[in-house]
Amino acid sequence: MKVPTRRPEEFLPLTPAMFHILLALADKERHGYHIMREVDERTEGNVKLGPGTLYGSIKRMMADGLIEELEERPDPELDDERRRYYRLTDFGFRVATAEAQRLEQMVRSARAKKLLPRTKSG
Amino acid sequence: MSRSLSKDTRWFLSIYSILLLAYPREFRREYGSQMVLLLLDCQRDARTAPARTRIWLRTLIDLVRTAPREHLEKIRKENTFMNNLRNDLFAIGGCVLIILAALLLLNYGRSHQVSSILFFGYVLDAIAFTGLLGNLIVFLLIKLTRFRPLRIAFWTFLIVTLVPTLAITLIAGRDPNFNAPNVVIGYVVSFFFWYGLHWLWSNKLRPSETA
Repeated sequence: MKVPTRRPEEFLPLTPAMFHILLALADKERHGYHIMREVDERTEGNVKLGPGTLYGSIKRMMADGLIEELEERPDPELDDERRRYYRLTDFGFRVATAEAQRLEQMVRSARAKKLLPRTKSG
Repeated sequence: MSRSLSKDTRWFLSIYSILLLAYPREFRREYGSQMVLLLLDCQRDARTAPARTRIWLRTLIDLVRTAPREHLEKIRKENTFMNNLRNDLFAIGGCVLIILAALLLLNYGRSHQVSSILFFGYVLDAIAFTGLLGNLIVFLLIKLTRFRPLRIAFWTFLIVTLVPTLAITLIAGRDPNFNAPNVVIGYVVSFFFWYGLHWLWSNKLRPSETA
């Protein structure tokens, strides 16, 4: 596995596709189609990753050490053996967190400028 | 995997497998099968024909958007790119020069009735024709497939030489002015000429790659 030598902030801002993939992998390992469906469901159909976008992003994130491929499939007997599963690395988790914080900061700024309604708590 | 696929789906998956050639070879080798598998899953989940059509359209648009990006990234990352580009340009330029020289020589020989040039007219004709067609095919196949360049050159020039020889012999064979042996000799010489050049390029002439 590649050990990242860069700081998470150096990867920001992430592309929307990359951030969505990191979010999809934040809670469990998934294969390509699962990632695509999770993003589709979470965004209520607003973001649809095509095969080229998905695997292009996966390739870049693997090269940067944000995600890694599982050597063994979680359900070898129930699943198509050709599928490849991916999971977040610790570094990928830190990058995703940093990106989420950056976006949160931007949303806060948008609220301050009254571009968004204030939440009940804030 | 038990549910059978419709004819349309199988057809589109075959087309998509071919369209994947638009991506760089390494990317295709690493993720091509996964991309086809992903599309297969999408198709299985799409229940209606319009939904399936939307998936195909989205996939094609995605391919048009992402294939150039992958190529650009490959170009940026590859240290050997400039070197390869220089080699490619050198090889293409050499082929073009040879073909132009053959055509100009042939034209000059015909217009001035230079017997020493016209003696080689069949050879020059064949070199120009097979050089143009053969090298174009060889160049594309080397860029798009994983076969060894020398093997591609051998089979391409063999086919590009044999087919016109047979076609010309069959079509013009009955013409009393037609000189079949000279045509055959011309194409045989042209085959050895071009294949020999490719062999030399692969083994001797190619500038060293620093990467």
